[in-house]
Amino acid sequence: MLLSVDNLDVRYGHAQVLHDVSMHLNQGELVCVVGRNGAGKTTLLKTIGGFMKPAAGSVNFQGKRIDGQPLEQVALSGLKYVYQDKRVFGELTVRENIELAAYPSHESLDQAIAKVVAIHPKMQKLLDAKAKGLSGGERQILLIGRALIGDPKLLLIDEPTEGLAAIIIGEIINILAAMKSKITMVVVEQNLATVSRLADRVYVMKEGVFSREITDPEIIANPAAYEDEL
Amino acid sequence: MINFIQSILYGLTIGGILYIISIGLSLTFGAMGIVNFAHGLIYAVGAYALYSVATLLGANFLVGALAAVAVSIPLAYLIERFIIRRLYGQSIDYAIIATYAVLLIGADALKWFFGASPLPISDPVGELWYFGGLQMPAFRVIIIALSVLVFLGLSLFFKKTLVGKIVVAGLQDREAVRSLGIKVERYFAIVFVIGSALAALGGVLYAPLSTLDPYMGFEIIILCFAVVIVGGMGNLRGTAIAAFTLGMVHSLTAAYLVSSAADAMVYVVMAVVLIFRPIDAPA
Ligand SMILES: Nc1ncnc2c1ncn2[C@@H]1O[C@H](COP(=O)(O)OP(=O)(O)OP(=O)(O)O)[C@@H](O)[C@H]1O
Ligand SMILES: [Mg+2]
Repeated sequence: MLLSVDNLDVRYGHAQVLHDVSMHLNQGELVCVVGRNGAGKTTLLKTIGGFMKPAAGSVNFQGKRIDGQPLEQVALSGLKYVYQDKRVFGELTVRENIELAAYPSHESLDQAIAKVVAIHPKMQKLLDAKAKGLSGGERQILLIGRALIGDPKLLLIDEPTEGLAAIIIGEIINILAAMKSKITMVVVEQNLATVSRLADRVYVMKEGVFSREITDPEIIANPAAYEDEL
Repeated sequence: MINFIQSILYGLTIGGILYIISIGLSLTFGAMGIVNFAHGLIYAVGAYALYSVATLLGANFLVGALAAVAVSIPLAYLIERFIIRRLYGQSIDYAIIATYAVLLIGADALKWFFGASPLPISDPVGELWYFGGLQMPAFRVIIIALSVLVFLGLSLFFKKTLVGKIVVAGLQDREAVRSLGIKVERYFAIVFVIGSALAALGGVLYAPLSTLDPYMGFEIIILCFAVVIVGGMGNLRGTAIAAFTLGMVHSLTAAYLVSSAADAMVYVVMAVVLIFRPIDAPA
């Protein structure tokens, strides 16, 4: 088992947002987490990713306990989170955004750039543009490409298609589908059509708990069967 | 007209010194959200180190200036390591209290070693340079040139070096830099030491224009806060523009209004800027 999350409670101050959440992930899986706005999906990914400490419970990654470790260390252990709000380093160029991700890894800048360009060749032309000038779709591609640098073992991707134009959404889905065979992923996604295309398994989150786990591919392929549970 | 141009040039000198001192304060404020009064102590220590080496030991001014910068580096390192670093993510009140305490203790230590009476340092160049009908002390011209060099050097540093780029990214989004696996605080510490060395240099440059006294750090730090607030916390270009503008305000007020109101006018400008500037959306 690559990741095991056990009985997580997570709070912001006094407000408890996650209640006794458990999940697991096997090598090579793509698991989607679905749920309404405010259900606690981002909180879950950020807790797994080392951004927040759980009040109770544990996160084990590759057999090692990682909850409570500093964010840098979690990232270096091979677990990368891709932000929901598509934040890039706006004052830096695309190339420099990539350079910063390559620096703590074993990859050279050229290797790192090649990785980003490989998922979307048009990035080649944007390398010297300031990242703040990128469109939402370009930012998302930069963020996903950047997260691949250093060969992480697990990607946590938070609503990758949110707020993007339909044509870009198709592109992002294709990118994720192509990555599927190479890397394990947890993808938070509200669009169930996307979920049905990508997911090996689905967790439904409702008000801070998992209300359902769907493993049957036939059900996953048919979102009408679970859309009213959100 | 000549007088006016002369006042402008004097304003540029004050602006240059304010810029050199403020840059470190602005970066600490912008990057870490820490209000660092101890910066004023580094400035004062720079001036007193110059006095000790150049006046008491009788060495050359340049040697004294180098000594001042050299002394500031370990001192800044200690302040960062044992005080600033513990204030990350804490309430800003703690930062104000802790760093103000450092400034107070340091100022009293200076008084204990050097006495309370003002100490003069003579102009190291002691020449006037003439430009047409203008006359300028050469030392002031050197100050302006140095501040431009510092600006260019820092611009290159933040644009071209990896450390600089990490800090630029961290100023915008510290957490995102950490999530790449980069210990961003380490890089902020490097920049903290650079900013402190510049504050010591500021003390060295200001000393011959005025006199030393143990509490000189208090006056300068408030002026520098005005620069940082007007220029925008962590905004490198804004800090430069604000420093030169406020330096000019200072010098023109002294020349054409009331000389004792020069400091006050700087705060008036700051207040006006605060009133009319749109509130920055949080990053
Ligand atoms: N920093 C915070 N401080 C306090 N409460 C927060 C904070 N961040 C999120 N919350 C609350 O925690 C709950 C879960 O938020 P979270 O962002 O995890 O939801 P989400 O499922 O990702 O929603 P969305 O689909 O809108 O991204 C919400 O009620 C939210 O208001
Ligand atoms: Mg969310």
